[in-house]
Amino acid sequence: MPVILEAVQLTKQYQEYTALRQLSLSIDTGEIFCLLGQNGAGKTTTINLFLGFLEASEGKALINGIEVRPNSNATRQHIAYIPEVVQLYGNLSGIENLDFFSRLAGFTYSKQELAAFLQKAGLQQEANSKRLAAYSKGMRQKVAIAIALAKNATVIFMDEPTSGLDPRATAEFTAICKELAAAGKTIFMATHDIFNAVNLGSRIGIMKQGSLVHTVHTSGISATELQQLYLETI
Amino acid sequence: MYLLAFSNFIRSRSVLIAITLFLVTGVISLYIGSRFLQKQQAAVEAVTQLQQAQIERNVKNVPDQFGLLMYYLRFAYINKPDPLAALAIGQQDINNSIQYLTVRGLEGQRYDTGLFNPYNQLTGNLDLSFVILFLFPLLIIAFNFNVLSQEAEEGTWPLVRIQAGSAMRFIVQKLSIRLIVVLGLLLILLALAVVIVPVPLNSKLLMFSVTSVLYIVFWFAVSFLIIALRYSSAISALLLLSCWVLLCLLGPAMVNSYLTARYPVQEAYSTFLKQRDGYHTKWDADKDKTMEPFFKHYPQFSRYVWNSPKFNYMWYYAMQQAGDDEAAGDSKAMQNKLRQRQQLAEKFACWIAPMQAQLALTDIAGTGLQQQQQFLDSTAAFHESTKLHFYPRIFTDGAVSAENWAQHVPRYFKATAAMVPLFAMMPLLVFTLILGATGVVIFRRKGAAYTFQG
Repeated sequence: MPVILEAVQLTKQYQEYTALRQLSLSIDTGEIFCLLGQNGAGKTTTINLFLGFLEASEGKALINGIEVRPNSNATRQHIAYIPEVVQLYGNLSGIENLDFFSRLAGFTYSKQELAAFLQKAGLQQEANSKRLAAYSKGMRQKVAIAIALAKNATVIFMDEPTSGLDPRATAEFTAICKELAAAGKTIFMATHDIFNAVNLGSRIGIMKQGSLVHTVHTSGISATELQQLYLETI
Repeated sequence: MYLLAFSNFIRSRSVLIAITLFLVTGVISLYIGSRFLQKQQAAVEAVTQLQQAQIERNVKNVPDQFGLLMYYLRFAYINKPDPLAALAIGQQDINNSIQYLTVRGLEGQRYDTGLFNPYNQLTGNLDLSFVILFLFPLLIIAFNFNVLSQEAEEGTWPLVRIQAGSAMRFIVQKLSIRLIVVLGLLLILLALAVVIVPVPLNSKLLMFSVTSVLYIVFWFAVSFLIIALRYSSAISALLLLSCWVLLCLLGPAMVNSYLTARYPVQEAYSTFLKQRDGYHTKWDADKDKTMEPFFKHYPQFSRYVWNSPKFNYMWYYAMQQAGDDEAAGDSKAMQNKLRQRQQLAEKFACWIAPMQAQLALTDIAGTGLQQQQQFLDSTAAFHESTKLHFYPRIFTDGAVSAENWAQHVPRYFKATAAMVPLFAMMPLLVFTLILGATGVVIFRRKGAAYTFQG
């Protein structure tokens, strides 16, 4: 499978503090890559560098072969983002939020198409027209997934997406992610959830103090072994 | 997307409350302006009837002495307010807009004004121009201060950044929705003005509207610049309110203090004294000394007989003229200083947008100081022409019944705009462009700020 995400000696320095140290990484199309690490390990910094929110101090981040900076607008066309807490517009309904963010990305869909995206993301139909203020965290995430689907993004970045979700919502979310990967989408996820990472990911990276210390394939490791490795690493 | 963004904005309860509040305030301001105009029109109608009645009464009471009759008769010269004055009352409620004059000395009559509402001189009127100049910026600040910071603070900004091609275009679109709402509010109020006041649909209303739109756009440019600096909502609100205080309150107050100090108008008092002394001292002076300057002023009347043994009205009106002539220097100096104040105020106004817009709006409505000065100058010309009409009749003691009194109806002042308001608004336009361009540069430099370290 072709490489879709690549980090080359990627470094982010804040004066004396190094948030990310010479990260080199390649991720193939259709892969689910999970980054594990404590708070401050550099997971979100890595995502923000790929999203183009931060400028690398050294090295480069590439999406589909295009360097993110200074081509953020070009690379953004390929990506979607699901933050830890999905915040949308409270005065709009779920379907209106989806419509709004799709149009923002340059896509215009009919109501039926928008409803189909929401259904595919797992949102119950009766919630479509309710204002966002009445949505749970899981429901908001489903709208964010629908936004990613509507954008037809090839890479979806997720920052601790299962944090705060109940077990059922987590299971639903995992199933949707697997469907996305099966459909050829690449998922790059930062998480604290070791068991979900093993269950969901194809590869797992463990970060410590801004460095990627281990990269393991989930096919060759159990959750218990990964937990052991993680605890030894941090 | 525009419609959805508009829905998101307009569905906010606080936005609806703000719009309703401003709509109500605007309607109240129109009602106040309409009442002012009605009062002015009632005064014009009253003085028209009064002039006719007092001419009839005095002609009946003094049928055989033209000079004595003219001592009493008054002639109205009216600065009839344009209907647009209801939207920008300016100084028209504290300055006299009706001069009710005899042919006696002018200086003693010119500043006899019906100063019935000094309180308004301090606070100004709650007319539509007040709403536009001072309250609309507050609405604009309330709508705009958190256009970007709210996205960051409520967590929608990262998703917007990923989805939107251009962050700046997104913010400009948000601002343009708010601009449309504010302009819509202005349009509704102007439409209501056409119905309530009623203000005619003419070029003046168009100029008033264009000036108001420019002023509103200026405040949006100020907002955009502050937004581009990417401060938190609290800091952005503070900065914008500071701009409002500086531009709407402190700036004009400082300019006013400076102008008053630089051009003190002592002549207002000395003109009054010289006019009174010039006239009253002549009662005891040699008549020749009174008549000599009078004939110098009006050589065409030197052939009339003035030194008859009985009381002579030519001598009496020459004494009145002496008062005006002796006060003329001070009167002119005072007018010049007021003009200098106005001219310097206009120069300062180029740097202070609310002052500039206020001068333009009152100029369009014909209620500014400039028009009042024009009216006072024109009053002198009216007084002079009235004198020149009656002097020969007085000096020859003509027959009162021979005069066609029906022709002496009130005359109306017609103002000529001293500046082209749209041209006068050029500095505001330039500032708006500079602020907008600076905002664009800063916004681009800041890039995709509002991200967080992991």
